Amino acid sequence: MRVLKITVLAALLVMAASVAFAGPTYDRVMSTKVVKAGLSNQGIPFGFINDKNEWVGFDVDMATEIAKRLGAKLEKVVVNNNTRISFVQTNPPKVDMVLSNMTHKRVRDEKIDFSITYFFDGQKFLAKKGAVKEVTDLANLKVGSMQGTTSIVNATAYLKKLGNANPKVIGYDGEVAMFEALRSGRVQAITTDSTILLGYAAKVPGQFELVGDFISDEPYGIGLPQDDSAWRDAINFTLQDMWKDGTYMTIYNKWFGPDSAYPFPMTEKIEMWP
Amino acid sequence: MLKRYFEKVWVQNLALLAMFGLLVYYFAFVFEFKYDFNWAVFTTEGQYGHMGHLMLNGLNTTITITLYSAAIALILGIIFGLARLSSFKPVYWFATCYVELFRNTPLLVQLFFWNFAFPYAFPEEIRFKLYDMDFEFWVATIGCGIFTGAFMAEIIRAGIQSIPKGLLEASYSSGLNFTQTLRRIILPLSFREIIPPLGSEFLNNMKNTSLAMTIGVSEVCWSMQEVLSLTYRTFEALIAATLIYLVLSLSIAMILNLVNVKLKILPRGHEPMSRKVADTLFAPLEWLGSGMEYLLWYFRRRSDTSKTVSPLRRLLRVSSKGFVLAAKIGFVAAIAYVIYMTISAVASFNFEVIWANLPALLFWRFPGGDETEFFMGLGGLAGALLMAVISIAGSFVIGLLVGMGRTANNRAVRIPCTIYIEFVRAIPLLLVIFWFYTVVLDIMFKIEVHAFWAATIAMTFFFAAYIAETVRGGIDNIPRGQVEAAKASGLSYFQTMRKIVLPQALKQMLPALVGMFIAAFKDTSLAYIIGVMELTRAAYAINNRLMVYPFEIYTTIAVIYFIFSYLMSLYAKRLERKLSPESVRIAM
Repeated sequence: MRVLKITVLAALLVMAASVAFAGPTYDRVMSTKVVKAGLSNQGIPFGFINDKNEWVGFDVDMATEIAKRLGAKLEKVVVNNNTRISFVQTNPPKVDMVLSNMTHKRVRDEKIDFSITYFFDGQKFLAKKGAVKEVTDLANLKVGSMQGTTSIVNATAYLKKLGNANPKVIGYDGEVAMFEALRSGRVQAITTDSTILLGYAAKVPGQFELVGDFISDEPYGIGLPQDDSAWRDAINFTLQDMWKDGTYMTIYNKWFGPDSAYPFPMTEKIEMWP
Repeated sequence: MLKRYFEKVWVQNLALLAMFGLLVYYFAFVFEFKYDFNWAVFTTEGQYGHMGHLMLNGLNTTITITLYSAAIALILGIIFGLARLSSFKPVYWFATCYVELFRNTPLLVQLFFWNFAFPYAFPEEIRFKLYDMDFEFWVATIGCGIFTGAFMAEIIRAGIQSIPKGLLEASYSSGLNFTQTLRRIILPLSFREIIPPLGSEFLNNMKNTSLAMTIGVSEVCWSMQEVLSLTYRTFEALIAATLIYLVLSLSIAMILNLVNVKLKILPRGHEPMSRKVADTLFAPLEWLGSGMEYLLWYFRRRSDTSKTVSPLRRLLRVSSKGFVLAAKIGFVAAIAYVIYMTISAVASFNFEVIWANLPALLFWRFPGGDETEFFMGLGGLAGALLMAVISIAGSFVIGLLVGMGRTANNRAVRIPCTIYIEFVRAIPLLLVIFWFYTVVLDIMFKIEVHAFWAATIAMTFFFAAYIAETVRGGIDNIPRGQVEAAKASGLSYFQTMRKIVLPQALKQMLPALVGMFIAAFKDTSLAYIIGVMELTRAAYAINNRLMVYPFEIYTTIAVIYFIFSYLMSLYAKRLERKLSPESVRIAM
């Protein structure tokens, strides 16, 4: 009987806990003045830890600026490729927005919402200098990629298109493992979004180069909780404001400008609503 | 009065049914999942390929790694277990080093080491040849084999040492020769000692293969993560992976059970059904054994009847002695070479890098101990130790209760406890952490906690199941007479437990508990998977920044893990000696 009583009590407690859940994100951020941002800490140059033990990167700067414009305090939360979606998908969301070089995809948009595109990238291959002369050389190479991203699927499809019926694409756990695989010669090329590849190539200057064309479009969006249009509007307007007054390009040039370690010329414009 | 009712079996069954009903009612009607299951992801081809095939491929890889690594582990275990008994000191030292080194560092760190650092020990041509041969797969297989082998070596050594000398003398004096003694006396007896712990090592090995995911081998956990990140079907992926591990664990447990039944000594003609099944299943092995014995009978050494030794035989004897000596010298030379290589490799380390990053590895404070960071950014070794302390403290409490429940007569208590223990022990810690992190805390209990707490809570529940088993063993060891005497003198169940059984059982369990603490400390490395900044993750983050010194960093953390685990295991050994029943009078 005692056991039964305890069971019932425990069940009631759980029920009570499940009733209390937070309101929409916009209201919460505006009332608490804290915005939680999911950021990667190993994606050079988007979010990483530099040698002074500081968390820096393009995404980090963007999140900081957005929080500043919303008049809120930024709280940084580590996410990785496997958690970046689920952190905004949970109810209540663990973070209010995710900036983690995340491509806006329709499948992903079914689960969470996205802001307008705030960065334009595409997937490429990185290989030892001189190892790949023609694009078709790629077909029979052993290729490394990152687990938990669609890069593996894209790369497999691309190598198939180049004529290799059974391509070897290995998904490594994280960026370090992937780059280490290339550096040690375990794979002959690695593939993911080109800016990330640039970040790694810059670690050992002159040894590696980007090869081939962009094999996919990777428009980055800020991941936001599903069905919260007030919050999505706030983020979109902030992004557009940043573009309009030039803050965006300042941040962009800091990380990808001609004098930076990872030069990547800006070729597009973010979506502006009149 | 209630108590008397609860002693009736039908009341207990009713209570069980009520609990089950409540659970079903709660999850079916009250609990809001806000989640619609879509099992079709595993049966239909999606945008990113067929997820069912992905999982099946994972299962295939897991089984392959499990079988290969189990074979490697068994072979290594036998070799090193025997080597630990060798009277030739270099062999003994080498085997001891192997056992201590690999038992006291986390498998995850070992895999990282083999995968990232080890290839650099070879010249470039050999390295590239290695990479051409499915390198990650073999690293995972051999790495798991070497790790499990170290545990098996200890079990086998203990098993062989447990045979009383008198038995051997008796068997020789009754006219059995060495092969017969080996097959009839030594092996069956030591097997009976060895089989249960060896079996749980096989099970552990299967679960450990889940770590192969971290170096890019597409086994079940890897496939699960891939399904997760391609379809965002958290529940389906987790449940599928869990079911796969459950089925694998149960099959292994069933085989081991049959072996156990086979080895049990039973009166002739009273064999239960399970024994008959086991007998028919293991009949081929039996034939093989007796066949070998028959063959060996003809190759037995005949006693010398003539006083003179033929020149050929003398030559053979001398050359075999020479061969043994040469083998010994060769072995010592090989060891010397390995030591020389290790020292020169260590000497060529970039010690500046290690030195500069050591503080971060010991007390990770990131970034500079920001106030929004968890525990002001505590992590690294300090974080790992904290995690181990908290989870062992918590799991001790749960384990004690569940372990007591497991030994209870009351079904309504015993069955749920047993289900909990068996279920948790059947799935890898990696999956338990995933479950707690993504589902249990978040979706089921709506508790939002830092990844550190999620991992610590997961480890608490994981180790509680193991501690519960230890507790059960401890309680079972107490002679029944004591419990009966306590009952007769009017003590209630809880009084008996608190005053008679537990004080004795806990004393016996202490070394095992220290061992569990070492395991917990090593397993904090698995929290790396959800981004907790413990020692392994801190090393990972530092590697991520430096990019070009994986050898140095992974060696450093391996050494740190080793020092701490080894010191604790020395302490456990001392405790065991101090608390052994022969030398201690249990005072109450």
